[in-house]
Amino acid sequence: MIRLSGRFRSALIIGGQGIRARKTRTLLSMVSLFLGVMAVVVVQVGAETAKNARLADLELHMGKDGTRQTYLPGNADTIQISQDTLKGRKDAVAVSTTQAIIGEPGVNPVNPGAAPFDQPGGGQYAGPGGGDMYCDPRGYCQPMKAAGDAPAVPVPGKAIELSLNALTGDIRQFRPFRPVSGQWLDFTSEPSLSPRIVINLEAAKGFTRHQVPAEMRVEGATANPTPRIIGVIDDGNPQPTAYTRADELQNWVPRASNNGDYGPGLQLMLAPTASDVEQLLRIRLTASGIPAEQIHFETIQARKDIAKELALIRWIFLGMAGLVLLIGVAGILNVGLATVGERVEEFALRRAVGTSRSLLAGIVLAETLLTGLLTAAAAIGLSALGLTAISALFGDREQFLQDLVFPWQAGAAGVIAGLVAGLLGGLIPAIRAARIPIATVMRA
Amino acid sequence: MTALLELHGVTKTLKGQKAPRTILDGTDLTVDGGESVAIVGRSGSGKSTLLSLIGLFDRPDGGQYLLDGRDITRLPERKAAALRSAEFGFVFQRFFLLKHLTAAQNVAMALVNGQGWLPRRKRKARTMAALDRVGIAHLAKHRPARLSGGEQQRVAIARALVREPRLLLADEPTGALDTETGNLVIEVLHAATDRGCGLILVTHDWDHANKMQRVLRLSDGKLQPATDTRSVPR
Ligand SMILES: Nc1ncnc2c1ncn2[C@@H]1O[C@H](COP(=O)(O)OP(=O)(O)OP(=O)(O)O)[C@@H](O)[C@H]1O
Ligand SMILES: [Mg+2]
Repeated sequence: MIRLSGRFRSALIIGGQGIRARKTRTLLSMVSLFLGVMAVVVVQVGAETAKNARLADLELHMGKDGTRQTYLPGNADTIQISQDTLKGRKDAVAVSTTQAIIGEPGVNPVNPGAAPFDQPGGGQYAGPGGGDMYCDPRGYCQPMKAAGDAPAVPVPGKAIELSLNALTGDIRQFRPFRPVSGQWLDFTSEPSLSPRIVINLEAAKGFTRHQVPAEMRVEGATANPTPRIIGVIDDGNPQPTAYTRADELQNWVPRASNNGDYGPGLQLMLAPTASDVEQLLRIRLTASGIPAEQIHFETIQARKDIAKELALIRWIFLGMAGLVLLIGVAGILNVGLATVGERVEEFALRRAVGTSRSLLAGIVLAETLLTGLLTAAAAIGLSALGLTAISALFGDREQFLQDLVFPWQAGAAGVIAGLVAGLLGGLIPAIRAARIPIATVMRA
Repeated sequence: MTALLELHGVTKTLKGQKAPRTILDGTDLTVDGGESVAIVGRSGSGKSTLLSLIGLFDRPDGGQYLLDGRDITRLPERKAAALRSAEFGFVFQRFFLLKHLTAAQNVAMALVNGQGWLPRRKRKARTMAALDRVGIAHLAKHRPARLSGGEQQRVAIARALVREPRLLLADEPTGALDTETGNLVIEVLHAATDRGCGLILVTHDWDHANKMQRVLRLSDGKLQPATDTRSVPR
């Protein structure tokens, strides 16, 4: 132990003296290595940032990794059973989706089928049997009356169609919506008599673009309530969407009537720990006549999916960065070999006074490893600085550039690249240094 | 009492320009602790080769090498390095000082060799004591470029002495110095033997050789007592 630490400390002193005596050389080695290490770091930063941006989008859209989710046919039974089972649970949420139209009564919404406002889509088609069909952007089609007649769908007017999600609890634990303005739904208070809704960015766009009266029509509703929009969030969804408390919506939409042609969707999201709820839901749903094979829970694993998606691209770029690094290694090797040639007498002398072959090789290697590490530190520092600058300069243009953090994977890759380059560039000089014959050099 | 070192019938053949040349051909040598021995001989007779075998820079092809009666003829390199550090001090015709280090750092490098670690304060004390022994403690902070030849050689001697070796190996230490400075260096080396350290001095200078207790001549790969005092070739 003591012997090892003595060797180690000797190596530190000798290596330090070597680097200090050859500052310019160390700097030149660093310069030759810098681009390569930098390339590796930048590729990693890019890959990680892209991954995180994709992941954040996917989490918004699909849900966090590990979440258990299932889609069920949204009929009165399934909705009632799941809403009753999940009532008061903090770790599970039922989302029942219906269409809602806010605006003038009796007109067709400007975006039938809750289409994004900039891409209308949908339209008239020749249906089977000659009758014309009208399809909305989601692909829901209904036959139009006889050709030449006025279409079954009213003319577009001052109304906006939304996809309305009724929530039994706070869904943000599974889908981390980004707040934009106002508030999020409060699930702790008593249900309000006028439904509070939170809309997404696309819906907000619709409301600013089209002046519509504040009246909401929900399929099967007994009355047209005046909705209170209490906040705007970013849910990553391109469709205009609104969120509301399921119990508040029930004041207008009796559950029994919720049996439209293409029925509401029902999605259940459960925390990984809520296996008891899953169990209970299964029992109750099968008891109510839902075939067991229809209740299929799956675990969200966005991270794995993305990793696969981005791995290939990352490896291609890392391969190219590796080539640049190799040029740097050649540079450091060149400097290293020249240095050994110059230091033949020093190395022979050090061996003569008792430094062992292995320690001497270790010192030569340590000097280049240290050069590699210093280069890595410089490259990492510069990349981190550049990232901060990019974030500050362009953060307001692109959402994902806003709060960029330097990914630790890039730091690790930089350090590894520096060490590998140091090892490759230092190994041959180290072996040469160890092989110097003392007797020949020290002869008089 | 066992001798400090014994060589029995040591042989060494070096690759020559054309054919291999046998430099040492059954060399015998016994040196007791604290003894001083001069080795003289024609240029190319193998004196430096002999010293490099004694100092464990190289290994003999045949024969036997005993240190304190222990056979170290075929010692592995790691153990040889430890012995070089602990038992031997080396002084060469060229001083082999590292020009980027001060005199004190040049001396201390014999302590910073991965063998027998000493803390910084002890290293410093030993370094200064060694420099003091050769009379140049006041030049500790100077780099070799600012030292005279004699001063540089004394730094080298301090480096050889700093670990208190049992045998000093000096290969023509005065070869690059004028007569007066050379005499001073020999005095410094000789003073080291007062403390019980042995000395093997390779020299061309008969005056210096005569200051040693014994003078041996290397010729035809063998060592013999040198008696003919005035026929040492220069
Ligand atoms: N590395 C080597 N390979 C082959 N032959 C060598 C090598 N080094 C020295 N020699 C030869 O070995 C012989 C002995 O060399 P050595 O240096 O031991 O002589 P020396 O007695 O020290 O001479 P000098 O008095 O000139 O220093 C010389 O003929 C030399 O040419
Ligand atoms: Mg010689």
